Parts: sequence; structure tokens; C-alpha cells
Amino acid sequence: MQFSSSLLENAVTEFAKLPGIGKKTALRLVLHLLRQEVGEVEHFSEVVARMRREIKFCNRCFNVADGDICSICANSMRRQDLICVVETIRDVIAIESTQQYNGLYHVLGGIISPLDGIGPDQLTIEALVNRIQKEATSELIFALNPNIQGDTTIYYIQKKIQAFPVQVTTIARGIAFGGELEYADEMTLARSLQNRLPVERYVAGR
Amino acid sequence: MELSTQIGPALSRQPKRLSVQQLDSFAAGRLSCSPMLFFRAISLLQFKNYTNRAFEFNEAVTGICGNNGQGKTNLLDALHYLCFTKSYFSRTDGHAVQEGQKGFRIEGRVSLNEKQEKAVCVLRETGKKEFSVNDQPYDKFSHHIGRYPCVIIAPDDAVLVTGGSEERRKFIDSLLSQADATYLQHLISYTKILQQRNSLLKSFAETGQRNFALLDVLDEQLLKPGQYIFEKRKDFLISFLPAVRHTYHEIAQQPEDLRLVYESQLLENNLAECLQASRQKDLYAARTTAGPHRDELEISLGAQPFKQIASQGQRKSLLFALKLTEMDVLKEEKGFPPLLLLDDVFEKLDESRISNLLQRVCRDNAGQVFITDTNEERLKKHLDDLAIAHQIITLR
Ligand SMILES: Nc1ncnc2c1ncn2[C@@H]1O[C@H](COP(=O)(O)OP(=O)(O)OP(=O)(O)O)[C@@H](O)[C@H]1O
Ligand SMILES: [Mg+2]
Ligand SMILES: [Zn+2]
Repeated sequence: MQFSSSLLENAVTEFAKLPGIGKKTALRLVLHLLRQEVGEVEHFSEVVARMRREIKFCNRCFNVADGDICSICANSMRRQDLICVVETIRDVIAIESTQQYNGLYHVLGGIISPLDGIGPDQLTIEALVNRIQKEATSELIFALNPNIQGDTTIYYIQKKIQAFPVQVTTIARGIAFGGELEYADEMTLARSLQNRLPVERYVAGR
Repeated sequence: MELSTQIGPALSRQPKRLSVQQLDSFAAGRLSCSPMLFFRAISLLQFKNYTNRAFEFNEAVTGICGNNGQGKTNLLDALHYLCFTKSYFSRTDGHAVQEGQKGFRIEGRVSLNEKQEKAVCVLRETGKKEFSVNDQPYDKFSHHIGRYPCVIIAPDDAVLVTGGSEERRKFIDSLLSQADATYLQHLISYTKILQQRNSLLKSFAETGQRNFALLDVLDEQLLKPGQYIFEKRKDFLISFLPAVRHTYHEIAQQPEDLRLVYESQLLENNLAECLQASRQKDLYAARTTAGPHRDELEISLGAQPFKQIASQGQRKSLLFALKLTEMDVLKEEKGFPPLLLLDDVFEKLDESRISNLLQRVCRDNAGQVFITDTNEERLKKHLDDLAIAHQIITLR
């Protein structure tokens, strides 16, 4: 691609770094911004910059937050003794969209996979164990993707919290939705949240 | 500890002898209709040396003839793709894309139990592979394995007899995976967990930090698939190995002291005990030293290892014995004969052996067979002499 302006070229290069954006799409987006008022575009970039600069992660559940505690954890109407364990923030958004879940979350930040260099220490597992002890959690619901690393993560955490009187369940995986949590439609996700299975039974049934 | 061919009274799986009536009905079936699994046509787009070409198959036996480099093996590989969703010869799908092109397409028309199916394998420009039967894409390719059972014999297969133990495990795994879908799923799980465990052991060695709780979890995860794989192999080999030996003697037509022995640490202790016992060793070696991934099929002639002492003819006989017994087993398990792909199998065989082999795979087996040969006259003559109905495709 040939550009008569290096300013334009730089902007296209930056947009093209975004996932799923090729050079052509990047050019289309940049040309769109070029047609906007200067103030509009300044507002746009300021919103993005501020988002990155000021965003925080919840001290309790590691979800995104405006302050030290996220709006979900701060909501006293939600059940405080129920924790849904997810891989990423995207999963929180997917489950919240179902409007069927009224407990809290814990964002692990990934799943255990030594092959990818991810061990328990790279995840928020220790914080989760501390939480369960402190918060007198009654049920831990795993909403991880149905694969071997997901199983490894569940068994590992289960081992770590054996001493506490907490029930461990998993959303009905595999049957309820094929594939990644974030792609599951709201109905199936809601249903699999309601039909959750105790982990022991889930393992034995495989 | 070993499980030798001499043990097996449980020969239940050895191919049953057919009664006279059954033979008659088989013969009648052969004349009137095609086998239960039959590839009627295949079309190839940008696949290896084929830019765009279609073939139709009308007879149970198809000879593929032509000079060197004309695409005989490539056509067999395309059929292999439709059975296994991948090449027999290369691990990388990209190698099968015609030079200068992006992506390929293989489409087959298959009749299976008298139903017509369309099987399509596409490699997209992006490098993504898709596989569908009757326009239903598989989300896991492994679910296709066993639908079109297939046995291939190719020139480089001698490594099965002369190569390392992984070659023989691969052979047994391919056979059992086609016969038992659960076996394949356990094999996939086992391999994935094993890779994780080996990575973890490596990170222990590199960082000096040892999270034993995580190692315990991976060990527990290995048990179910690992134990299943072992039990299945053991039960299967008890009858399979004597059957291979029998076939070998049939081919060799003289008594030879061939011994086939299944060796596995699991014959003595279960996997949990094996993993426990070898943990120190594993920590030291930074990889998993016990488990069914270490199983071996030992082959010897008299007191000597087969690969050291066997002649080329003996190696070839054993290779055929293994593959032909695989054919028998798949036929028994599936209830119909597998597809047979024979690539240049006549090399170094004398005329009477060629005739014997053809008799066995084309007449007795009653499945669909593809045979490549550079020598069209030779192939034709043998098939005519045996009165085997056939079609010849000449590539040039
Ligand atoms: N990706 C590819 N693109 C184009 N041509 C290819 C590709 N891969 C292989 N070929 C061509 O295919 C030919 C080899 O075909 P194949 O191995 O099927 O031959 P063959 O008929 O079995 O020969 P032989 O009798 O020697 O075994 C070679 O000429 C090679 O150049
Ligand atoms: Mg060839
Ligand atoms: Zn929170």
C-alpha cells in the first residue's frame, strides 16, 4: 500500500495491529475517522487511552473494575457465598448476559497448561483459595472450557480446597455447548448454568 | 514381563473359517454387487500433481498403472485422505497442495452399506482443513476414523519391521483406532496429558521449583486413558500375534521360528504403580519413563532380533503378514472388508508370490482394492489368470 502521508500510514499501521484487522480494514477505519470532526476523534482516542490508563482489576475477583472492587462484588444483592470460576473477563461478560446468575465470580486469567508455560502460580489460584477460606463460600461453580487443561485446572483447585466445606460443581459442559464459552449462545449457557453437576459425578461420567 | 505368542488359547478374534455355504454366498455377492464399502468416484483439485481430475471406479479391483512420477501413489494418498482425513506420507497438509496453488479439494463418492455418501476434504487458502460427510462438517476429525476402514501397504512400510518401537505402536494404534472409537479418544487424551506432564517435568528441572500437587493431578488424569489403552492392546494382541505368525508361515511357506512378543511395564503393575515407582527417575530424566507409550512389540527369528537377521524377503513377508492380518481383523470387527491400498507391492516378489498375494487380497477378502504398478502387462496378466474382474487406469 502506498500512502502520500506518513501520518495516515502510521495510523493504518496501528489499526492493523488489532486482532482480526487487516491492512484494508485498517485503511477503511482510518479514512472514516478522517471524515469526522477533530473534536470527535480526540474524544475517541481519549476514551480509549483513559480506559487503558485508569482501568483496574478487582482485588477480590480480578474482573475489570473502575475502583478497587468491581460492581459485581460491590453489589450486596448478589449471593456472596457462590463463586463462578472462569478463565477470562470475556466469560464474565458472557455469563452476565444470560441474566441467570446471581453469585460472584473469580477470574483465573487462564488455565493450567505447562506446555504453554502456564502453571498455577501464573493464575489467581492462591487468591481463590484464600477467598474460599475467608468468605465461607458454599459452592464453587467451574465454568471452564471442556478440555483436558480445563480438567487439570479443576482437579488442581479441588485438591487445594479439600479441607473447606465447599461444594464443587461444574456447568454441564460438552453436552450443553460445543466449543468456547464465549461463543455459546445465552440460552444454552443459561441452561448449563442451571444444570450444573457435582465435580465427582461429572468426572465419573466421562 | 512379556506376553508371548505361545500363551494364547483365547483365539476368539482370529478370523473365523468360513463355511461352504458362506463361501458360496460370498462368491455370489461378489458377482452381483459391490462390497459394502465402495469408493465409486473421486475428484481432485490442486492436489499434488493433479490440477483438476476425476476418476470413476466400477470394479472391486482397480489397477493404477503408469510410469514413474505419473501420480499413482498420489491417487492412493487422496483415497487415504478420505479415510483418515490426512496423508499417509506427510505430516503437513501443505505438502499435498499443488505447487504454486493455495489449498486443495478432494471429493469422493462412497457407498457404505448401500447408502451413497459424499466425503469432502478441503484445505482452505488459510491453511485450515475441513472435512465433511454429506455436507456435515466434523468438529473433530478423529470422529471420522473408522467410518471407512482402510489398510495401506507402501514401499517405505518396511520400517514397521526394521524401525523403532514407535512404528509398531503406530501400527497397532491405527488398527485399534479404526476398530474402536473409544480407544482413539483415550489415545488422544493420553497423548495430550503426557505432553503436559513432560513439560511440567522439564519446568521442574529448569526452575528447580516442584509443584508436586500438580504432578499428582496429571498422574491421576493419565490413569484412565492409559489403563484403557493397555488393556485394549493386551486383549487384542493375545489373538492378533498368533494370527500374524500364522499368516507369515502361509506366506513364507516353510516353517520358521518367528516370535512376536508384546512387552509392557503394565503387564506387571498397573499404571498408578508404574508412575509411582518411576517418579524419581522421571524427575531426573525430566520426562515420563513409564506407561503405554513405552510399549514394544518385539520380533525375533529364532534367538535373534528379527531386524538384524531377516532377509529382505523375510521382512517383506512379515510386513504383509502384519498388514493382511490387520485386514482380517478390521473385516471381522466392522462386518465388512476394509479398503485396501497397495502401492508397488510386487517389487522383489517372484511370480508365484504375486499370484498368491493377489489371490488373497482380491478374491478371498472380497473388498475394494487399489493396486499400483508400473508394469501394466504384468498386473493385467495376473488378474486375468486369476479371473479377477478389474479396471485399469493408465496415467500418463
Ligand atoms: N505438491 C505437489 N505439487 C505438484 N506436483 C507434485 C506435488 N507433490 C508431488 N508432485 C508430483 O507428483 C509426482 C509423483 O507422483 P507419485 O509419487 O504419485 O508418482 P508415482 O506414479 O507413484 O511414481 P513411482 O512409480 O515412481 O512410484 C512427481 O512428479 C511430483 O513432482
Ligand atoms: Mg509411487
Ligand atoms: Zn470483583
